[in-house]
Amino acid sequence: MAVYEHTYKPYEGKLTSAWSRFLVLPRYAYQDLFKYKLFTALFVLCYVCPLIYTILIYLRHNVSALAIFGANASDIARELPIGGTFFFIFTVIQTLLSFIFTVIVGPVLISRDLANNALPLYLCRPFSRFEYIIGKMSVLMILLSAITLVPGLLLFLFQSYLEGGGWMAENWWIASAIFTLSFLTLVMLALLAMAFSAWIKWRTAASAALFAVLIIPFPVGFSIQGLFNTTVGHLLSPIMAFISLAKLLFRLEWTDAILTSGEAWFVFAAYAAICLLMLSRKVRAYEVVS
Amino acid sequence: MNDQWIIFENVSKFYGEILGVNRVNLTIAPGITSLVGPNGSGKTTLMNLMTGLIQPTRGRMSVLGVSPSNPQELFRKVGYCGQFDSFPKGMTGYEFVKSFLAVHGLSPKEAEEKTWRAIERVDLVEAAHRKVAAYSKGMRQRIRLAQSIAHEPVVMILDEPLNGLDPMARAETIRLFRQLAQGGQLLIISSHILHEVDKMSDRVVLINNGYILAEGGVLGVREEKLEEHPMQIMIRCDRPQEFASRVFASDSVVEATLHQDKQGLFIKTRNADAFYQLLNRVVVENGINVDSVSPVDDDLNAVYHYLIGSNGGSS
Repeated sequence: MAVYEHTYKPYEGKLTSAWSRFLVLPRYAYQDLFKYKLFTALFVLCYVCPLIYTILIYLRHNVSALAIFGANASDIARELPIGGTFFFIFTVIQTLLSFIFTVIVGPVLISRDLANNALPLYLCRPFSRFEYIIGKMSVLMILLSAITLVPGLLLFLFQSYLEGGGWMAENWWIASAIFTLSFLTLVMLALLAMAFSAWIKWRTAASAALFAVLIIPFPVGFSIQGLFNTTVGHLLSPIMAFISLAKLLFRLEWTDAILTSGEAWFVFAAYAAICLLMLSRKVRAYEVVS
Repeated sequence: MNDQWIIFENVSKFYGEILGVNRVNLTIAPGITSLVGPNGSGKTTLMNLMTGLIQPTRGRMSVLGVSPSNPQELFRKVGYCGQFDSFPKGMTGYEFVKSFLAVHGLSPKEAEEKTWRAIERVDLVEAAHRKVAAYSKGMRQRIRLAQSIAHEPVVMILDEPLNGLDPMARAETIRLFRQLAQGGQLLIISSHILHEVDKMSDRVVLINNGYILAEGGVLGVREEKLEEHPMQIMIRCDRPQEFASRVFASDSVVEATLHQDKQGLFIKTRNADAFYQLLNRVVVENGINVDSVSPVDDDLNAVYHYLIGSNGGSS
C-alpha cells in the first residue's frame, strides 16, 4: 500500500479575469504575424489612405496652406465636399484592404490548429469552444478594426474638430454609418474566413473559396435579374448587401440600392448563421474517431 | 470522499454506432492509476471523458466533485497530456508552456515563473527557446508533459506519456510521476509499456473493447484469476525431481514441470501462501539446496495476457 504525504498545494494566486482570456490568442497570433517584414510593410501601407484623407481634411480647413498651392478655399469646399460620399469612399478603400488582410491571415486561423491536432490543447484549459472562436475571431477583428473602423472614426473626429460649429451634431449619422458598416464587414469577413479555415485545410483553396463566396454571387445576382427580372438573386451577394446598406447609411444619392435595408440585414444574418453552423461542426475537441 | 476521487457511474460513450466505452463504473483514488489495454480498447475515450473533451452518451462522472462539463472549474484541477504529437505551429517550448498558462489566467510574471519551474522538472531548460518543431520526439513528449503540470493541477491525465522517451528519460519521468503521486496528486496514465506500468502504478485498470475487465493492484487482480490461471513459480535447486515428487502430493500444487536444464522446476499453484509454507518444510526436511524462488506470472504482463489474451504488443 502506498503512503502519501500530501505535500501538494494547488496554485492559489490571483488569476486574470475569465472574460479577457480569449485575448491570449490574438496576442500570440500578432507576435507571429508581425515577425514578417512584408506583413508589417503591408499593414503600414494601409495607413496611406487615412494619411491622404487627413491631409485633405486639413488642407480644406487651412486657408494659408491652400494659398501656398494657389487654391481658393471656397473652390476647394465646392470641389471637395466632406460628407457621406467622402467617408463612404474611404470606408470602401479600407474595406478592400481589410479583405486582402483577411485572405492573408484568415485561412490559417483554425486550419493550422486542426492540422496540428492542437484544438484539444486549447480546450484542456478553462477555455470553452465559444472562447476559442471569439479568440480566433478577435485576431482578425482587432487587426481589421485598426485599418477600417478606428481610422474612419478618427477622421470623423478630426473633421468635426476642424469644422467646429455643431458639424458633429449635424453629421453624427456619418460616424454611425462608418461604425455600422465597418463593424458588420469585419464580423462577416472574420466569420467567413474562420468557417473556411475550419473546413478547408489548404490555404490557397480556402482563400479561393473566400474570394468566390464574396465575388461570384454579385454577377450571379445581376444575371438572375437580367434573365428573370427579379432581384431575389442579389440576396446571395454579401457585396450587394454591403452596397445597399452603405447607400442607406451614408445617404448616398448617386447610386440605387437594389436591396432594402431589411434584405441587406437578412443576407448578413444568413451568412453569419451558416458560418457559425460550419464552425460549430468543426471546432470540436475529438481526439479519437474510430 | 467525492471531492478526492474520480468517479464514473455507469458511463457509456458511443461514436455513432461504434462503441467507445460501455457501462463503466470506476472509482479512481489518489496515487498512480494506469489504464492498460490494446489499441482501440477505450483508454483515450475514458481520458477524454474525464477531461470533458467528449460527452458521455449515458451515465455521469465527476472529477474531484467537479463535472467535466464545467471546464472553468475542472481545468483548475486537471492537467491533460494527450497522446497526439500536437502543437500550435511556430512556438518555442517556452512559449508553448507559457501561452497556455496565460489561458489559465496566470499573470505574465507568475506564468513565467511556473513555466521555468515546469521546464526544469522535465529537464529541458537548455532547449526551452528552441522551436518545438525542431525538438526530437522525446523532447516534444517532455515539453507536453511540462505544459500539463505547469499550472500545478491536482489531477494529471497522461495519455501514453512514456512514448518516444529514451530509457534515461523514461526513468526520470517515472521518478517524477512517483514524486507527484507521493505529494498527493492523482495521476492517470495510459501506457503500453507493461513492465514500466507495473513498476510505477499503485493500481491498474484493464480495459478491452470498451469494457473494464479488472481494476485494482496488480497482485490483487492476479489473485482473482488464480482459479483459472494458477500461479507459476520457478524454483532453482539441486534435486528438482525429488522436490517435485515431495510437493506434488500437496493440494496447493496443481502442476509441477521440470526445467529443460534439469536444474529447476516450475510449480503451478492456486494457493501461493500455502505453497511457500510447504516449500520451507520440504527444503528443511529433505536438505534440498534452493538457489532461487521466483514467481513467473504475478506481474502485469501475465495479468494482461490472461485477461486480454495477448501481450498487446507490449515491450
